[in-house]
Amino acid sequence: MPEPLLEPKLLRKLEQFQLRTGRRARSSARGERRSKAHGQSVEFADYRNYVAGDDLRYLDWNLYGRLDRFFLKLYEEERELSVTLFLDASESMTFGEPSKFSFAQKIAGAIGYVSLCGFDRVTLTALPDTAVTPALRSGLRSVRGRKSSLGFLQALSQLAAGGTMTFNAALRRAALETRQPGVAVVLSDFLDPAGYETGLHALAGRGFRIHALQVLSPEELAPAHAGDLRLVDSETGAEQEVTFGRYRLKAYQRSTQNYIQRLREFCRARGISFLSVSSGAPMEALLLREFRETGLWG
Amino acid sequence: MNFLNPIAFLFALTMPAVVLLYLLKKRRKSRLVSSTVLWQRYLADTQANSPFQKFRNHALMWLQLALLALAVGALARPFWRGSAAPSRLRVLVLDGSASMQSVDVRPSRFESARAQAREWINGLRDTEQAMILLAGAVTQVKQSPTRDKAALRRALDSCAASDSGTRLAEALQTAAAFTYEKKGEETRVSGEIHLFSDGASVDLGELANKNLPLIYHRVGGEGRNLGIVSMDVRADPEDPTRRLVLANVFNASASRELAQVELLFSNQVVEAKSVEILPTNSAAALFSLKQPGDGVLTVRLLAPDDLAVDNSASTYSFLPRPVSILLLTRGNRFLEKGLRAAPRSQVTVAAEWTGPTDAFDLTVLDRTTPATWPATSVLAIGVQPTNWFAAVVVEKSPPIVDWNHAHPVLRQVNLDNVDLAESQLVDPPPWGVSLAQSQQKALIVAGERERKRVIWVGFDPLQSNWPLRISFPIFLANAVEWLNPATQQTADLLLRVGEPIRHTSRQPVTEAVVTRPDGTSATVIAQRDGHEIFYGGTDRAGVYTVRAGTNVATFCVNLLNAPETQIASRTNLVIGRYAGVSSVSTSSAPSDQWRWWAVAALALLMFEWWFYHKRTA
Repeated sequence: MPEPLLEPKLLRKLEQFQLRTGRRARSSARGERRSKAHGQSVEFADYRNYVAGDDLRYLDWNLYGRLDRFFLKLYEEERELSVTLFLDASESMTFGEPSKFSFAQKIAGAIGYVSLCGFDRVTLTALPDTAVTPALRSGLRSVRGRKSSLGFLQALSQLAAGGTMTFNAALRRAALETRQPGVAVVLSDFLDPAGYETGLHALAGRGFRIHALQVLSPEELAPAHAGDLRLVDSETGAEQEVTFGRYRLKAYQRSTQNYIQRLREFCRARGISFLSVSSGAPMEALLLREFRETGLWG
Repeated sequence: MNFLNPIAFLFALTMPAVVLLYLLKKRRKSRLVSSTVLWQRYLADTQANSPFQKFRNHALMWLQLALLALAVGALARPFWRGSAAPSRLRVLVLDGSASMQSVDVRPSRFESARAQAREWINGLRDTEQAMILLAGAVTQVKQSPTRDKAALRRALDSCAASDSGTRLAEALQTAAAFTYEKKGEETRVSGEIHLFSDGASVDLGELANKNLPLIYHRVGGEGRNLGIVSMDVRADPEDPTRRLVLANVFNASASRELAQVELLFSNQVVEAKSVEILPTNSAAALFSLKQPGDGVLTVRLLAPDDLAVDNSASTYSFLPRPVSILLLTRGNRFLEKGLRAAPRSQVTVAAEWTGPTDAFDLTVLDRTTPATWPATSVLAIGVQPTNWFAAVVVEKSPPIVDWNHAHPVLRQVNLDNVDLAESQLVDPPPWGVSLAQSQQKALIVAGERERKRVIWVGFDPLQSNWPLRISFPIFLANAVEWLNPATQQTADLLLRVGEPIRHTSRQPVTEAVVTRPDGTSATVIAQRDGHEIFYGGTDRAGVYTVRAGTNVATFCVNLLNAPETQIASRTNLVIGRYAGVSSVSTSSAPSDQWRWWAVAALALLMFEWWFYHKRTA
């Protein structure tokens, strides 16, 4: 029996959280999230004048007693929240020990589980999705309700990384295809040579509340190999020559931090929450503490 | 700059090979990475498929080219004109006299001369031999002829200036012995003598005809100096219980100077005086003190001048004691009265004396020859001891032509109006000097025989008008003072720098310990059955103590050298009456530089190693 994506013990701990949206749900379907629409719930929203044909159950009789006029009480409509997880499944995510992809898979599973427990509608999009079979796709798209979480996690665990992908194009297409933008969580290493700006920009433009999670392997943060090297890009196959040694490690780490900082500043400028994590980091601390501190859930 | 081995520049043809190596592609290890985005800063340019890459400005390549250029340069043996002229043997003579301790050039003339000499040694070619002589209190060969520059530098470092007067003539004669070469009958000059000196108080008269191949490297300037050039302690004629201390202070500078002179007894200041001295003149400082006991009297000059060693002089002074005199005479009232008039004298008059004379300090023999020769100092008047002189002639009415004013016995004595009826005349013997001269022969002789002082007067004063002259009692007083063993002992304890200490011990000893002014001590083996102690290491001025058994003697070693006090450095050295030598700055000779090039190449190699590993390790 394959190992479960997340330990049941951890899943139980995650049930206490609810994904923070930062805005009201826009979905047309009823759900558990507050929305701008007025409907039936226990949360009072406003008054309006009574017109003929309105349900007399919602008349405010106290106001009628004082003012001798009919007012109708309005209540907030609770709608469902659409959560879309964009999981980078390109070849570059297969690197690292543990691999960046398996690490991102677990994070996606955790976010999906928390969302499903909160009766949100969860969709996971693998980028690229060439390896995703129709059966898997049905288990990962528009999943709702806690009872679907088991199927969701199983389908997620069966995903495999590989192939090439243009990050910007993939996100742009996904933004166009989405009918009800809600919360978008982008899990990637953000190491596409073509950049990440237009993709994230397209999602933000579509109205998503975006959380960007960068996953880098320990090897990428502090390379162990040294000497005169010919580096081969796993996705593009391009060869680059570099001379590297331990004396240059600090300079490399400085330039890496600069790269992450540029990404962080880009996200901040567009209201995107950002977190960069190492695939070697302890999962439980990340989910239970850091995600809470960054405001992903609470 | 020139090159001794220019053909080595052919190695420069290898330089294009270094550039070629950088044009060739480097063999690299392939490594698959997730993405090359993070490596942007380290990426090399995309390589073409040709075996050569395009030329890039590579720091390592320039380092290696510079390294190769230095190595080729070193192989070509570059040189430039150094500070030495070509010859087979060079003798470096370093003046180590007291004036070289002058600080008119910092840190001192000696250090300045040493620095010049070091530079001169560095300028020697590898094929040239050199040796080092240090002309201090004695001439020392610090390094025999060698081509090893390191050995020469070590020898130079071991040199130190002494407190003695200049004795360059001796050093130059030693140096000259190395610079002449005999070829059959002909003597040829085969070397050079390089003298590093200030030229102060140099007397090279005896080298007048040597034709020395001397090159004079001058150090120092005019300088400003005051110094004590003489010191004397004697009894005060007005008060026999007091002592008079006379110090002569010389001003060698070109301006009037006011100096403070202090008298110290056993390192305690007794009296101080101010003395004003005109340029190139001397002034006396006279002190009178009641001496509490035997001890060291020191005169100290408090003047901020350039030479410190001549600012102090010491002498060991005994308490005045009565002088016990045995007069053997057949009757001479003038002589007896004259002797009694001498300070602190106790005269015993006898016609004959057969007993021991140990109880007396001195014996006066007036025309008598005792059966047993006295064991004391002797003033012999009209006596003809057979073994003192080679030949004695008797002359009627010999004129007194000249007399020695400078001798302590004839101080203040005028023999101008003294006429003699008859006198014995002798040639000055090796043990003494003539004090009064008649034509070619001596009338009065003073000297030292068997460690006893002797004055011999060839004539009978009663056969002259001398007893009627004032000079007679003065002569007798001087003679008593000079013959007094206490005076002799005081004189023995006062030495010039470089003069050996000679100490006589009554009890035989095997060895003695000499304590030097700086506190160090040396053990000396006693000579002559343990009665004599000789110590020659008096190269520093100050107080030396000799402990031989229970006997302790204190010797005072001083510079007291007026020429040495005149520290003005000389541009020309006068050799005899006609010859001379001018100071030179430097003369030029090739100086091999390849070692510096090799050192620079090595340093560059190490830097390149570090630079490469900084990038790749």
